[in-house]
Order: sequence, then C-alpha cells, then structure tokens
Amino acid sequence: MATSFHTTLENLRSTRVWRSIFRRGPAITNRTRSLAIFGNLFLHWLPVKVREKSLRVRAAYYLGSLSLLLFLILVVTGVLLMFYYHPAAPEAYHDMKDLRFVVSNGVFLRNMHRVGAHLMVLLVFWHMFHVFYRGGYKPPHEFNWVVGVILLLLTLFLSYTGYLLPWDQLAFWAVTVGTNIISAMPFIGNKIRFVVLGGHIVGENALLRFYVLHVVILPLLAFLFIGVHFWRVQKDGGLTLGSKEHDGKN
Amino acid sequence: MTEKTKIETGFSSDAKKEPRRIVFITRKTSAKVKDERERKVMTYPHVLVREAIVFEILTIVMVFIALFWNAPLEQLANPQLTPNPAKAPWYFLGLQELLHFFPPFVAGILIPTLVIIALLVIPYFHVNVEGKALCSERASKRFGMVISVVVVLLILLVVVDAWTIMVPTVSVAVLLVASYLSKGTTGWLGVLRTKPLSWWVMTWFISTAVYLTVVGTFFRGPGWSWVWPWGTHAG
Amino acid sequence: MSESNQVTEPPSGKPSVSRRDFLNEITLGALGVAGLGGAALTYQYFSPNVLFEPATTFRAGNPDLYPVNSVTFLQDQQVYIVRTTTGFYAVSAVCTHLGCITQWKPEANTIACPCHGSKFQPNGRKIEGPAPRPLPHYAINLTADGELQVDKLQTTKADEVLRV
Repeated sequence: MATSFHTTLENLRSTRVWRSIFRRGPAITNRTRSLAIFGNLFLHWLPVKVREKSLRVRAAYYLGSLSLLLFLILVVTGVLLMFYYHPAAPEAYHDMKDLRFVVSNGVFLRNMHRVGAHLMVLLVFWHMFHVFYRGGYKPPHEFNWVVGVILLLLTLFLSYTGYLLPWDQLAFWAVTVGTNIISAMPFIGNKIRFVVLGGHIVGENALLRFYVLHVVILPLLAFLFIGVHFWRVQKDGGLTLGSKEHDGKN
Repeated sequence: MTEKTKIETGFSSDAKKEPRRIVFITRKTSAKVKDERERKVMTYPHVLVREAIVFEILTIVMVFIALFWNAPLEQLANPQLTPNPAKAPWYFLGLQELLHFFPPFVAGILIPTLVIIALLVIPYFHVNVEGKALCSERASKRFGMVISVVVVLLILLVVVDAWTIMVPTVSVAVLLVASYLSKGTTGWLGVLRTKPLSWWVMTWFISTAVYLTVVGTFFRGPGWSWVWPWGTHAG
Repeated sequence: MSESNQVTEPPSGKPSVSRRDFLNEITLGALGVAGLGGAALTYQYFSPNVLFEPATTFRAGNPDLYPVNSVTFLQDQQVYIVRTTTGFYAVSAVCTHLGCITQWKPEANTIACPCHGSKFQPNGRKIEGPAPRPLPHYAINLTADGELQVDKLQTTKADEVLRV
C-alpha cells in the first residue's frame, strides 16, 4: 500500500506538468537544497545555511519567528473576519454579535484574532528586550534595531486601531481617551486629532479611518518593514553572530 | 612561485585553458588555515522543520486559549455614558497610570516620545561594546553619579506623589546598591556586579513598565482609585 | 561657443555653478515643491469639510423647568444647566483632562469624572484631580419665544450669568 502510494507520487512528480512547476527536482542534494531556499520567492529571505547554534531554542527562543508566524495568523484570521464586518456605526457592533451567535465558528475566529493580537504585542516586546540583553543591536546591526522599533510601533498602532472596530463601550472610550491625548500636543495637537478622527468626535468617520488603517495601510507597512528586518539579518550574516565577527569584513 | 613558464597577461591569455592557482606569499608568512568557522547546516531542512514545529505549537496553544476564553464585548458604544472605570488596552495601562500623576502632555506625549527616542538611539549612543560593568573602572565616581540621578528622580516622584513609580525604582536601586556594596563575585549578587549601566537602565525601565501595567490592570477601580483586586469595594 | 569642459570664471571672481549641478538643483527643488504640494493636498483631502455630527446649538426648554439652585445634567448634549439665585449658566460635562463624561454628585455638590478622579464645583472650577483646566461655560441665551438656548461652539467667561 505504501509503495504503491510512493510510486504514484513518483509518477506524478515525473510528469511534464509537475516538472514545469517545480523545476529544481527533489531537495536531496546540497545544490537542490540551496536552490530550495535561494531560488524560492517565498523563502529567499532566509539564508541558505545557518549556524547550528542558532537552531537551539535558548539562542533566541524563536521569538522573531513567533512574531512573524503570529503576524501571518493575524492576517489570515483578520481577512476571514472581514467577510462579516461592516465598518459603520452601529452595524459594526451588530456584526460582532453576529459573529458570536450566528456565524459558524465566528466565536472561535474572533477569539483567535484577539488572542493573537495580545500575544503579538507581548512577543514583540519580549523579542525587543531579548535582543537588547543579547546585544544584537551593536554595530553593524544598528539600523536593524531601528527597523525593529518601527515594527514595535506599527504593532502597537495595529492593535490600537483594531481595538476600536468592535464599536462597544470598551472600544469607544479607550479610543476617546487616546485621541484626546493627541490634542495635548502643543500647537498641532487639535489639527492632528481632527485628521485622525475625521471630525471632532469619535464617530463614523473615525471608525472608517481606523478600519482602513488597520486593514490596509498598517499591515502593508508592517509587511514592508518585516521584509527589511529579515533581509538585514540575512545580509549581516545570520543569527547568533557575535558583534566582533563580521564574516570577513573588518 | 616555482613554475618555469612566465605568466603573461593580456588579451591572449586564456584562464580557462590553463587555470593557474596563484598563491601570493608576503614577507615571511606562510599560508595557514584560517580558524574554522562555526558549523553550519542547510536551512532546508533544518530551519524549515523547526519553524514548522514552532508554528504548530503556537497554533495549538492559541486554539486552546481561543476555545476556552472569549474576547470581551460590552454594550454598544454610547458617547454619552462613560463607563467607570474607562480603561485602555493592557499595553497602554502603564501609560494611563502615568496619566494619573502627570499632566496629559507630559504623560501622554512627552514621556512616550522620549521613550521611543531613547529606544531608537540605543545603538548609536556611545555603545559600550565590551559591556563593561558599572562596577569596573572609576567605579565610585560613576556609581556616585548614577545614585545622584536616582535620588533626584525619587525626589521628583515624591513631589508629584507618584508612589507607584517609586516602588520599582527603589527596588532596582536597592539591587544596584547591594551589588555594588557586596564585594563578592559569586552568586546572583556577583552576577549583578558584572552588568553595565545600559543593563541597569533597561531593567529599571522594564520593571517600571511591568509594575505600572499590573497596577493599572488589577489595582485601579472607579475614578482610578486604588482597589485591592480581591476586595469588592474601592479601598 | 566654447567647447571646453572648464567652468569659466566670470570677471567678478565669484565661483559659478556648473550647468549639470544647476539643473540637478532645479529638479530637486521642483520635486520638493511638488512633494510639499502633494502633502498639502493630502492633508486637505483627509480633513473633512462636511461633518455629520450632532448639532452644536440646542434648546434647553423653558426656564421655569429648572428650580433655583439646581444642576441639571442634559445627557444627550453633555451639558449641565445650572440655575443659581441670580440666573443661568451652561457648563460643559466633558472633563477637560481626557474627554470622559463627568457625573453630577448632588450629595457632595461636585461634578466628578470617573476616568481619573477629577472633581469640579458646579461652576466648573476644579477642586482636585489631573484635569488641567476648569470646565468651560457655553454661551446661553433666551430665544424669541422665551426658551433657553445653548451654543456649544461659543464659550463665555465663568462669571457670566444669564439673568431671567
């Protein structure tokens, strides 16, 4: 039984169609394994080889990887939630109720998204502190640290804009207080608050703006900066590289 | 070079036909093998398999939590009724605690901006690359400076009556003083002695942030008054 | 036309800019102006000109509805109508700290904010708490048919009172 499955698979893999899609062949040699990373659109931001030390959990607790994976989970659950959500008041609130009581697996999906959001903020902070304590910000990695701080801010903004979307009392007043803090800025505070809210009050305009920020603008920015962040790690020589070794440079 | 034929360059040389491996020997050194680099493994399959495992563990943990904990949903947003207390999401509760003591501009704009700038500047600001401990050279002078800064900060906090910020500041300062005064090098006090100033500042920051967040989550009730989380009324 | 590549010095001796540098600077300047213009247009785009928010001027009914020395909270307008022995004034119910809606506590004769514990007197002056300013007074006047009218876009001084 196993061998016939195996031979079927082999036959499938030897068809012209298959070989036109997956062109490098099975990844069993060093060359094909290099190609699996280097020649792949989705994986080429990883290095082809890594230090064995960096595989250990205690190296970085996989915090960076967890952050990325969480981001992907949040994007998927978020997009699924979008199918049942109208960014208008008060429909948004009724949609949340629908998700809870009417939509199949709606409760689970929303909970996953919420759990993921909290975990994301926690993990990103933890990742930053861990990189600090390990000295991963020292030259030549300074700019990557800056990119990381930008990603932290993006995470917080993503979480904050998403917080308003259920349009319940918790959301409304948290955002009211937060946007009133913006108006505490001297001179331009009130103007910025007006543009952020699209008005004087936290109302329909604010909901729609926060929705667009949360669903389009901030995720795109996050995606871009994540790309830079990973690319930098790879180009600087990979994980668990001490600051004294620069792979031949200097 | 011990080859008899002279190596000529120019348009007529063809490295493909006669590849020559050339070793340049300078002075009296000899070619030696460089230190062996750390052992490397192929990303495929080692990294990918581990990432897949991490992803599965993450998903399983999240699914378990999502099955047993429901995201909260309160009543429909009512612009005319402020719930009491009105709390920010947990990662901003530390900030809201600060808002209780300082004016909105200071706690809401100035301090977060300074924190972000401080974070951004960490790698550029006279990096202590070797991680020299605070208690190393010129220890007493630097230690004196740090302690005077801490004392000024504590006086400021007392003036504003911000005692919730004082607690973690005092705790970290006590640890710092204890590690400085203890002359030993063993045990956890000894470990603390080896830590540089940047470590102490970051540790103070993290402990203050965590402490304020915990206070904001569990110990603040209506009107942002102090409550004991196990009590049924404001303390 | 000279075909040399040298930069010829004008007779006054001032150094001159090469044509390439000049064109580069002009281009950068133009791009900068275009960028600024684009930013200004974007800011304008994001600032709505029409707002669908509740009206800021409202009627508060006949003055006789309000007993002397009383504070009445109009919840949908977020305003307190205060009647003293001398007359009326309207005080904002929005806390000046961070925008929460305050509550009137008649037993303590104070206006209290639930968010961070600010307390105000009925005339808006702050008793305690992190609020930076007293509660503002809104312009209040009588309409032609004898009803109270409050304009939330106009603030008045704290000692002004509408005598009825």
